[in-house]
Amino acid sequence: MSTKTLKYETSSAKSLVRDIMERSGQNLLACYQCRRCAAGCPVGEETGVTPDRLIRMVLLGEREEALNNLLVWQCVACYTCGTRCPNNIQTARITETLKQMSKEAHLEPLKPRIADFHTSFMKATEHVGRFNEIEGMGTYEAKTAIKELRKGDLQAVIDEMMGQAKLGMKMMKKKRMHFKVDKVKNISEVKALYRKAKQGKGA
Amino acid sequence: MTMEMAYYPGCSLHASSELYDIQCKMVFRNLGIELKEIDDWNCCGATAAAKTDDFLAIALPARNLGIADATGLSEIVIPCSSCYSRTLVSQKRLSCDPELKDSINAELGQKIEGKIKVSNILEVLRTKVDSGELSEKAKKKLEGLRAACYYGCLLTRFPCDVDVTDDVENPQGMEIVCKVLGVETVDWGYKTDCCGASGSVNDAEQSQLLMSRIFKDAVARGANCFVATCPLCQFNLDAYQDEVGKKFGIQQRLPVYFITELIGLSMGFDPIQMQVDRHLTNAMPLIKELKLI
Repeated sequence: MSTKTLKYETSSAKSLVRDIMERSGQNLLACYQCRRCAAGCPVGEETGVTPDRLIRMVLLGEREEALNNLLVWQCVACYTCGTRCPNNIQTARITETLKQMSKEAHLEPLKPRIADFHTSFMKATEHVGRFNEIEGMGTYEAKTAIKELRKGDLQAVIDEMMGQAKLGMKMMKKKRMHFKVDKVKNISEVKALYRKAKQGKGA
Repeated sequence: MTMEMAYYPGCSLHASSELYDIQCKMVFRNLGIELKEIDDWNCCGATAAAKTDDFLAIALPARNLGIADATGLSEIVIPCSSCYSRTLVSQKRLSCDPELKDSINAELGQKIEGKIKVSNILEVLRTKVDSGELSEKAKKKLEGLRAACYYGCLLTRFPCDVDVTDDVENPQGMEIVCKVLGVETVDWGYKTDCCGASGSVNDAEQSQLLMSRIFKDAVARGANCFVATCPLCQFNLDAYQDEVGKKFGIQQRLPVYFITELIGLSMGFDPIQMQVDRHLTNAMPLIKELKLI
């Protein structure tokens, strides 16, 4: 959390709140900071940001911090906060929205692996319509390895590869690896939905 | 009498959790339900779609709903919690947003009508408990198993208002099924806590911390196994238990059974045919030790 004095700019705060409310479908203005969400958040302690704090940041117009803090990336979308919120605010929808806004603003995610995983998952799904574990994991591992090598962090790449190899061997031994690629026959329909998403004609 | 029910396995039941697909078909058939896998289904988008694209998060499951509606069957069962949640949420959203529905339908050969009932596996199993068919078919009492029933997040908590089929904070569906099978269940505090989901791959530190809490509480309450219905929850607790145990000083290793494995054992099915021997935390010794096979 920031310790600097907060500057409150009414107009920019208003536009940020409006934007997030519209995209997430959540009424942030209903939050009265009871912190029931904070009590149930499984990652609040480690991220240092609980759902109530995140909402407060947005309401105060702290754009940069709201778009890129650990809760935005490490929220596991367990929906505990929203289920317990007396005002029915689903903060996991807010973190989902903030992740998308952060990407649109070309911010470097605080947790690049998490961002890369979801992008790789969607790429793999777009390709054949179903998520094939080997293809999806391969794309993801390659993506993160390139980034880490660029940063000169060879050790991180080695650790990751060793860990994945160990799990892979275990799965092979138990016949849990599947090499057959599962495909959607009518892939043009799936691709049409992806196209529509890219044109921004959707939700 | 056999009835037909539409079935959406989802990607993991066609890959690393194929055993769950096999078990679902075996158990449901014995309960008089023939699972009809819907034709040419696509990935539901899971949590990745929700985190990256609001339109695809609704549109991907919507295509499956169109295919499911076209079967003419009245109900579709989805064993994976994430697939179930995404599909149910998509159906609900489209029922309130005709414009979005039209926009998606414009791309689809089989249009979404929104009439098929989307069910999770426990919902269907409970109807078989109520009708007495489960106790009729599952004769063998699985004495000695003390299960921590693990529901995870997505069976009872949703990003929008939908009809939740069990108690949100203290669901009972698995306990009810276990009772019929003679499986003792423990009261514990982490049955609906998160296992970290895909964090096990992309954020190991956090997901392992979350899993350690689950393992510690189950052990402290005297459970000797877990029971799960979600393939990702099952995989996480199964695949990472040893690593997490070593890191957090937990000595015990508990097998993580799918609910269908316990039902199958009670029905007298061969554990090898159900692929119970393919767990990553060995699931065979406990049932051998208890002379359940």
